[in-house]
Amino acid sequence: MKASFAWLKQLVPHLPDDPRALADRLTAAGIEVEGITAYGQGTETCVLAWVVSTRPHPTKSGLRLVTVDRGEGSQEIVCGAPNVPEPGGVVVLAPLGAHLPAKNMTIGRRDIGGIVSEGMLCSESELGLSDESAGILVLPPGFAPPGTRLNDAIPETRDSIFEIGLTPNRPDGLGHIGLAREAAALLGVPWTRPDPEAPVRQRDGSAVDAVSIAIAARDRCAHYGASVVESVTIGASPSGIRYRLAALGVRSISTAVDVTNLVMLEFGHPLHAFDLDKVRGAALIVRRATEGEQLITLDGVTRALAADDLVIADAEGPIALAGVMGGASSEISASTTRVLLECATFDPRSVRRTARRHGLHSESSHRFERGIDHSDSRDCLAQATALTVRLCGGTALRDAAFAEGDAPAAVRVTLRAGAARRVLGIDITPAESKGTLERLGLRVVAESDEALTLEVPAHRPDLTREIDLVEELVRVRGMDTVAAELPSVRPTRPWGGREALLRRVRGAGVALGLSEALTFGFTSRASLAAMGAPEPAVALQNPLTSELDVMRTSLLPGLFEAASRARRHGEGSLALFTTGVVFLSGEGPNALPREPAMFAAVLAGEAPARLAKPRPRDVWDATGLALELVARLTREAPELLADPNAAPYLHPRGAASIHVHNTRVGVLGPIHPNVAEALDVDPRALIVEIDLDAIAAVGTRVPHYAPIPRFPASARDIALVVRDDVAAGLVLGAVREAAGPLAEGVSLFDRFTGQHVPEGHVSLALRIVYRATDRTLTDAEVDQSHARVVAAIADRFSATLRA
Amino acid sequence: MSDAHATIIASLEQLAGAFQASFDAAPNEQLLRDENAKVLGKKGALTAILKEMGKVSADARKSIGERVNALKSEVERAFDDRLAGIRRREREAELSAPAFDLTLPARTPAPRGHAHPISIVRDEIVGIFESMGFSVFDGPQIDTPANNFDKLGFPPDHPATDMHDTFYTTAGHVLRTHTSNIQVRAMTTQKPPFAFIAPGACYRVDSDLTHSPMFHQIEAFVVAEHVTLAHLKGVLAEFAERFYGTGTPVRLRPSYFPFTEPSAEVDIACVFCKQSDGARAGCAVCKHSGWIEILGSGMIDPLVFEQCGLDPERWSGFALGMGIERQAMLRYGIPEIRLLFDNDPRFLAQF
Repeated sequence: MKASFAWLKQLVPHLPDDPRALADRLTAAGIEVEGITAYGQGTETCVLAWVVSTRPHPTKSGLRLVTVDRGEGSQEIVCGAPNVPEPGGVVVLAPLGAHLPAKNMTIGRRDIGGIVSEGMLCSESELGLSDESAGILVLPPGFAPPGTRLNDAIPETRDSIFEIGLTPNRPDGLGHIGLAREAAALLGVPWTRPDPEAPVRQRDGSAVDAVSIAIAARDRCAHYGASVVESVTIGASPSGIRYRLAALGVRSISTAVDVTNLVMLEFGHPLHAFDLDKVRGAALIVRRATEGEQLITLDGVTRALAADDLVIADAEGPIALAGVMGGASSEISASTTRVLLECATFDPRSVRRTARRHGLHSESSHRFERGIDHSDSRDCLAQATALTVRLCGGTALRDAAFAEGDAPAAVRVTLRAGAARRVLGIDITPAESKGTLERLGLRVVAESDEALTLEVPAHRPDLTREIDLVEELVRVRGMDTVAAELPSVRPTRPWGGREALLRRVRGAGVALGLSEALTFGFTSRASLAAMGAPEPAVALQNPLTSELDVMRTSLLPGLFEAASRARRHGEGSLALFTTGVVFLSGEGPNALPREPAMFAAVLAGEAPARLAKPRPRDVWDATGLALELVARLTREAPELLADPNAAPYLHPRGAASIHVHNTRVGVLGPIHPNVAEALDVDPRALIVEIDLDAIAAVGTRVPHYAPIPRFPASARDIALVVRDDVAAGLVLGAVREAAGPLAEGVSLFDRFTGQHVPEGHVSLALRIVYRATDRTLTDAEVDQSHARVVAAIADRFSATLRA
Repeated sequence: MSDAHATIIASLEQLAGAFQASFDAAPNEQLLRDENAKVLGKKGALTAILKEMGKVSADARKSIGERVNALKSEVERAFDDRLAGIRRREREAELSAPAFDLTLPARTPAPRGHAHPISIVRDEIVGIFESMGFSVFDGPQIDTPANNFDKLGFPPDHPATDMHDTFYTTAGHVLRTHTSNIQVRAMTTQKPPFAFIAPGACYRVDSDLTHSPMFHQIEAFVVAEHVTLAHLKGVLAEFAERFYGTGTPVRLRPSYFPFTEPSAEVDIACVFCKQSDGARAGCAVCKHSGWIEILGSGMIDPLVFEQCGLDPERWSGFALGMGIERQAMLRYGIPEIRLLFDNDPRFLAQF
């Protein structure tokens, strides 16, 4: 909402002179002034000048030399505008030194084709009064004496415009009268609402004679008023009115339409003007539309109406969408001679539904949706009628026509004495409460030591309960009057319990060298399908784009997208993880989806190396990450099971699941080449996916103390050559088994092929650490155990021992 | 003195006169030990000399023994001295050898990972509230319109819902437009008094420089007896001091949210143009106002209590909610919200 400071000041003369001071006060009370812009900045130095004579420029075609009388003398100005008026015409002169911020120009002496021009005849756009103009600003002859300051001749050329971020509970702020009332109440200065003007010409007669009015949908329309002005001439509005509208962001259309907009900006109450001669059958009916009925609205769109839409119909059909937009058929045009003005009260919810249904958000629907002041309808209509006569000429019919629907009941609210203390923690005296609320327009209807009962004016539909009045009290006196105090909070147990786990998971991911990504909850069916993720369980009715129309069942598409983008940027190395929920089918019809929490990581490219060529990441980066992550989270030793079918998006040769005890907590492996191809991901990318709800179910083991070994350990190595299709893990397992309880640890410390290793074989070097808990093992004991292990392994794997 | 005796004595004296030179000539510990063994070892000179002891008288043996002991001590002392000398010189040489090239790349224990700025800020805010006695209440991102809107007092067909352009699922649920659905869930399932904080993802149909269709909020709320606006202000002031730094004043501006009344937008004094005297100079971030809007808050509307089955005459409370993206963008000077969701490694590595 834009508001004119000049207009407010006109309504409340006691306002401070500095717009900033008013803006700050309004903002502190919840009417947030987000910005102040200067309208017509630079016009202060401009004066009116009368054209004395014109002649062509001696050398430059298209330019003219205009001699103007500027009051204190005349001067010759070079002007290129096509519309320089005849002598006697009034134009606007920006003198030497004038600065016009709209075009960022400062007027200086200019030599144009040998003629020196000291000043400029200005257009509206150069003066910052409108966005564009076809030529210089020309005023009617005799508009004001030469030398009159433009700002004095047309006060609307200079204003401070407030950009107000109005909250939807304050419809009264959508008009200058409402803002004036609020400003006066906040500043404690007197204010009276202006009475409507009387039309300068009116004749006996009633609008009823010209058109019949009926409300068929009484629950949707509390009041309908119409007035008639005859013999009008529709044209352009005078410049003052055009500038006022332009300053407030409203396009000037024609006198009759501008009137309805001006009155709307003043009272906050939308009006509509019909061409009465286009109203068929001289009848207006406020009714619900019939399903499928058609109406061409002012914007030229043919609308198929719904039975829930409220329309204004004439004898033959709808001619306006009530409170939203007029119809094209009864639109005011240059040939209109009889204007019918409408000022009505429509049901906010009805207007909102219609506006949304038809995607038509208008200044009118915006106000009706929020609830307009139904008490001022007659005044609005009267003011609009008088203004129409003033601007369009013609004669008003003395009596307007009214029809009444279900009138809203008056609202009374009781404010108990202790209410402010209870809510705000401060005491507010009854006198202050009463004073504040009365200034805001409430009327005390009963008063006692315990309570104050007030009647709420129609312009404040947001005040219906005691708490609303308490808010008014603190809003007006300022929230800075409440001292801060820390509450004593009773500690509460966390609910859901995933936050702490997620924090640990993120910490572990970062500690393991990954960077955290954040990906959207929605994704495309295509990417889920391409990777073979579970079918989407949740689809969106109104997705942002038709692509992103389902909720993810896997965190991976988002990571793949990031990986693919990073690859296009030429990032060689990538180690990303994310945590978040996926959305799976809930149990039972209409149930909310399940939202299990997951961890997913994508590794790609090369692992950094020191003083060496970087090493391409491989599947053991994935197994290491998965095992370490799960171990850190559960404090258990997780187990890896190779499983070609662990997940459809994993490469069958490297796919595995990871288990803690007998719970499967995740999968990992290289990306399946088909998926990599379909989603444009590095085909060597690696994936780790951990089910965090499963991790939570496993829990975190609490370590139990084991005595620290008191006796020394002895290590023995074995080097053996086995067929290369024997899994190393199998050999290690067999070693552990053969070594028995004396073997504290078995590790594989070297593995190689080639050199002296026969084709199809691999050499494995293992170290076994022997230790007894109750004695120092003798060399003989260790050698004996070790010989047993060597024999068992050689036998089981047909292995050749190496020296 | 027998010949044998004299020979032994002579040999001992010769030995006594020679060992020092050989010790001094030994360049390192090993060679010194070798020299020492040549004198005192099993196969050393002294042992060889004493093989002749059988040929001398008991008296002579005694006097030779004394001489031998003295010689041994002499040799041992000389050995120790020389050893200490060698070690000192070696230590000095080791200390004065060329310095390590510390400009060579460091060997990092593990490659460095980076938490997302949203997570960093989220954890910090959650931590602040936890230390004030709040606990996390975790709830779903997809919820019923009742929990997201109706029970929070959003009037049907009211423009208040315009502030929340909502994603609907085909099942008629909503992607929560704020974390305030957690208020409803807490109030309908838990018995007050309680103080919860609810961080998480939210969704609105909105996408531009400062809006992302998915974003994150943190909601904090208290429901108890006798909670007032003063308490809300107390918690806000404490939060501002801890999160934005000591000496960060808070300002409340009345505003409107359907589920709180009174409602307030909360500003903090600009942390970017703070002068040493605490005044604010005005800058682009605060649009020269000296204040930055950081969150919305208010006293829980009695209607919300009613809708959730709590008696508004008994229970009172406040709620505050903030966008984590905004806090992160302010803190790190991130100009566009999109950067937070692009997951560009070059962006992530900055945090």
